[in-house]
Amino acid sequence: MEEKNGATSKAGDWRSYERVLLPPVRDLHRLEVYEQNGGYEALREVLTSDKWDPTSVTNEVRNSGLRGRGGAGFLTGLKWTFMPPVDPNIPRFLCGNGDESEPGTFKDRQLMEFNPHLIFEGMLIASYAMSITTSYLYVRGEFADWISLMEVELAKAYEKGYVGKNVLGTDFSTDLVIHKGAGAYICGEESSLMISLEGERPYPRAKPPFPAQRGLWNYPTTINNVETLACVPLIINRGGEWFADLGSHRHPGPVLYGISGHVNRPGVYEYPTGMLITDLIYDVAKGMRGSKKLKAVVPGGSSTPILRADQIDGVTMDAETLRDAGSMMGTAGMLIMDEDTDIVSWLRRVTRFYHHESCGQCTPCREGTGWIENIVTRIDEGAGNLRDLDLLIDLCFQMEGRTVCALADAAAWPVRFTIERFRDEFEARCRPSLVPSGGVLTPALGP
Amino acid sequence: MPTVTIDNQEFEFEGNPILLQFCLDHDIELPHFCYHPAMSAPANCRQCLVEIGTPEIDRGTGEPRLDEDGNPVIRFFPKMMTGCSEDISDGMVVKTHRSSELVREAQKDNLEFLLINHPLDCPICDQAGNCPLQIQAYKYGPEGSRFEFRKVSKPKHIELGPRVVLDAERCINCTRCTRFTTEISESHQLTIIERSVWNYPMTPPGVDFDEPYSMNVIDICPVGALTSKDFRFKARVWEMSSTPSITIGNAKGSNCFYWVKDNLVQKVTPRTNMEVNEYWLPDEDRLDYDVFNENRPEGPTIAGQSASWDDAKTAAADLLKNVDANGIVFLGSAFACVEDNYLLGELASALGAAAPSYIQHIEPGAGDGWLITDDKTPNASGCERLGIRPLDATLLRSRIQGGDVKLLYVLQDDPVAAGICEAADLAGVSVILHHTNTTNETLVAANVALPAATVVETVGTFVNQDGHAQRVWPSKAIRGVNRTLSMEIGKSRADKHGTPFDRWFDEDHLVDCQPGWVVIPEIADLLDIELRFKGPRDIMLKVSSENEAFGGATYDAMAEPGVRLVDVGAEV
Repeated sequence: MEEKNGATSKAGDWRSYERVLLPPVRDLHRLEVYEQNGGYEALREVLTSDKWDPTSVTNEVRNSGLRGRGGAGFLTGLKWTFMPPVDPNIPRFLCGNGDESEPGTFKDRQLMEFNPHLIFEGMLIASYAMSITTSYLYVRGEFADWISLMEVELAKAYEKGYVGKNVLGTDFSTDLVIHKGAGAYICGEESSLMISLEGERPYPRAKPPFPAQRGLWNYPTTINNVETLACVPLIINRGGEWFADLGSHRHPGPVLYGISGHVNRPGVYEYPTGMLITDLIYDVAKGMRGSKKLKAVVPGGSSTPILRADQIDGVTMDAETLRDAGSMMGTAGMLIMDEDTDIVSWLRRVTRFYHHESCGQCTPCREGTGWIENIVTRIDEGAGNLRDLDLLIDLCFQMEGRTVCALADAAAWPVRFTIERFRDEFEARCRPSLVPSGGVLTPALGP
Repeated sequence: MPTVTIDNQEFEFEGNPILLQFCLDHDIELPHFCYHPAMSAPANCRQCLVEIGTPEIDRGTGEPRLDEDGNPVIRFFPKMMTGCSEDISDGMVVKTHRSSELVREAQKDNLEFLLINHPLDCPICDQAGNCPLQIQAYKYGPEGSRFEFRKVSKPKHIELGPRVVLDAERCINCTRCTRFTTEISESHQLTIIERSVWNYPMTPPGVDFDEPYSMNVIDICPVGALTSKDFRFKARVWEMSSTPSITIGNAKGSNCFYWVKDNLVQKVTPRTNMEVNEYWLPDEDRLDYDVFNENRPEGPTIAGQSASWDDAKTAAADLLKNVDANGIVFLGSAFACVEDNYLLGELASALGAAAPSYIQHIEPGAGDGWLITDDKTPNASGCERLGIRPLDATLLRSRIQGGDVKLLYVLQDDPVAAGICEAADLAGVSVILHHTNTTNETLVAANVALPAATVVETVGTFVNQDGHAQRVWPSKAIRGVNRTLSMEIGKSRADKHGTPFDRWFDEDHLVDCQPGWVVIPEIADLLDIELRFKGPRDIMLKVSSENEAFGGATYDAMAEPGVRLVDVGAEV
C-alpha cells in the first residue's frame, strides 16, 4: 500500500501491474497473434470443460464483483441473472455497447483497435452463460476504421469456428453481428440502442419493462459495455477471485483510465480500480502541462460532477469513494483542467453538447438543454445576470429525474455542480442583477 | 376486490387499468398531452407525473409490512412517475396535484418548458379555444415565463399532404400523429425528423401525407401544429356550435360532430363511439359537407315554378288521388331516415300501391374494411329492416318506357343520375320528388318538388351496415317553424358554446325545406289517410314495438351511443 498525502491507493502495487485488457503485444488485434497469446482459451475451456455450465459461468462473473464499465456501474453477474429461464421458442439477445460518445471518454475504441478479439470472446462467453444465439456489437459509426478492422477479424473468427454453428465443435451455436451506429449520443442509452438496432428512431423507452423482460424486438436482452464484456475472458482464465482482489474491494478489476486535458502525457492507461486521482495525474500522466496548478477534475466523462482541486486529495477511482467525494466513476474518462482553464467556457461547451445530442423526446430535456445552453452562453459572453445562476440551478432540478432516460440528468449535473463548485467564477462573469438587461433578445442558437 | 388510493380516496378496480386512464374515468383530471387511449404510451410529454407508492412487502412472509397502527407501510418511488405508463396495482397509493405540492410544481415546471419554444400565437391559431396546451397552461402552468431568448425557428405552413398543414413551431413533439400513422392507420407516412429542440413531424422524402384517414391527426394534435387545409382560418371554435350526429357518406354511420356557424356546416370532426368508429373518421366523411351548404333548394316547386308548401302538398295529393294505385311507384331511400321510409311505406300500403323499394348505391371495392364501406348510403340496413327491398332497375326502366308507370314518388334520391331512366323518359310520368339539392337530375322532370331536410336539419334514425341504430339531432335551423325540431335543437346543443357569438337565429342561409315526417303525413291527411304521429320519436316508438328488426330502438334507448339491433340477416 502506498501512502500519499496521508491517503491510500486501493490499487496496491500498481507500478508493477501487468496489463491484461490491453497487453503490450504487437498486432494483438490479429487473430493469429491473439491465439498465440492464449486467445479463445477461456471460450474453449468454458465450452469443453465439465467444470463449466451456463450457471457456473454466471456465478463466476458474479463472484468476481465485476461492475459495468459503461457508466452506471451495475453488477454484471447480477444483471445476467435477470434473464428469464430459457424457452427454446423465445429468442434472446446480447448487445455489446460500443457506442462510446460521452465527451472525455475514449477507452472502448482502444479495445476495438488493439484487442477486438477479447471483446468477441467476452461476448461469446456471455452468450453461452445466458444461452443466447445472436449477439450484436453496436459500434459508434464514427469508428469506421475499427469497424472495418473488426469485421475482418470477426470473419476470421467465424472461419476458425469460434463463432457460428457448433462453436469449437460443441453443440453450442451463436452468431455475432457488428452493427454500425449513425453517430447519435443517445444510442449509447440501452433502450435507444435496442430501438436503433431494430431500425426505428432511437427514442429511449420507459423502464420497466427492463431489457431482460422486453428488449430487442420485445425479447429478453442483456446489454453490457464492451469493456465489461472484455473482462469476462479474464475472469474465466484467472478466476473470479483474482479479479475480485484487484483494486478496490467493492469495485474491483482492471479499468481503462482515459486521461485527457492539461497533462503532460494524456492517453488511455490500464490499471486496477481504486487508483488515487493524484497518482493518475502526477505519476501516470506525468504531471500537469507546464507545471501549472491543477484546477479541476471531471472523473468519469463530462456528465459526472466536476471536482475542484481541493476536493481530490486522497480520492480514489472507484464508485464508493467518488460518490463520497461528490462525484461518480462514470466511464473513468478523466478530464484534467489546469489553473488557466475558463470554467464558464468549458461548461458552455458541455451544455452545447447535451443540447445538440438530446433526442428531443421528453419535454424537460428537449427544452431544458437548449435553455441552459442559451443562459450559459450569455454568461460566457459577459451578458449574463447574477439571477441567471439561480435560474440555471432551478432548471437543473426541473430536469433531473423527470425524463424517460438519464440524458436529462447527465445534462443537468455538470451545470448544477459546476456552478455550485465554481460559483465565484460565474459570478465574476455576470452583471449585477440590478442592471436591467435592456430587453435585448439574444439571437437563437442554430443546430 | 383490489383497491387503489388516489389523493386519500379509495377506489376499487378490476383488471390492469392504466393509472392515467383510471383517473380520467373517475373524473380526476390529470393533465397530459401524449397519452391517447387508442395508442401506445411513450410517456414523452412528462405532464402526467404523479407520486406513486406501493405497499412494502416483507421478504420473509411475503405479506405487506404493517406499521404500528396496523396500516400497510407504503414505499414511494424515489422519482415521480408518469401516470400513462403505470399500471395500477393492489394497495397502490397515488398523489396527484390535488394533494401533492411536488406534483403541482412538476406540472408547472413542465408547462414552462413546453411553452418556451411554443410561438404563443393563439390569436391566429385555429386550435385556440379548444387547445389542450392552452387550457392546461392556464390551469396548471406558471404565471409567466423566465425565458429571455429568441424561440427556435422551425418551418411553418408546410403542406404535409393534400388535406393537412403543419406548423412545426407549434408542435410539442407528443408524437401522437406519428403513432397514429404507425399504429392505427399503418400508413407509416409520418415520422419525427431532426433531434433535440429542432425536431418535428414530417413525411419521408418523396412521400405525400395522403392516406384516407390523414385528417385524424388534426383532431388528436394537442396543439395547433396540424391543421386542416380545408378549415384553416374559417371560424373560431367559440363562434360555432357542435352537434352530435353521424356522417352519411357511407354505411358505417361514423359518429361525428357537425360544427355550424351562420347556419352553414363549417367542419366535421369525429365523436367517440367504441361500437362504431372508435375515435376516428375518414377524410371523405369530413369533406363532403358541401351538400348541406350549397345548391340547396329555395322552397317547393310545382312544374318548376315556386309554390307555397300548402299548394305543393295539395298538388302532390291531387296527383296521387287521380292515379290508379297500380300505376304508382314509390321509391324509398337509403339516404333518408327510418321514419321517412316508414311513413312512405305506410302511405303506399294505404293507397293500395306496391311497397316501396330503394336504389342501391354500391361502389364495389371502394370500402377498406374499416370505416369506409362499398355502400355509399347511410341507411340501407334501415330500409331492409322496414321491408323495403333494393330496386330492380331494369324492370322499372322497362315499365317506365312501356308507359306502365303513371306516377313516380321519389324520397331523397335521384333515379335519373342513378341511371334508371332519362329525364325525357319521365315526360309522361307524374313525378313527386323530395330532393335535398338542386343538383338532383330528376328535378327537371318533377311535377311537384318538395325540398327535404338533410341529416343536419332533421331528427331521425339511421341504421348502419352492422345493425347499429343511431339517431340524429338537428345541427342547424331551417326556414319555417317546427316545434319538434326546435325542441331537439335546444336539447342537442345544450349551449356548449352558448355565447353572443352564436348565430343560431340568423336568417341567412336558412334552407326552406321540411323533413319527410312532416310532409308525408300532411299529404296523407289531404288524401284522408290516417297517418298522424306526434313526431319522429312517436314513429320510432311504434316501429320499434311492431317490428322486431327494430326491437329496442327507441329515442330514449338510442340516445348518443345508439343501439345494436338484432341481426336479421338482412342482405345489404
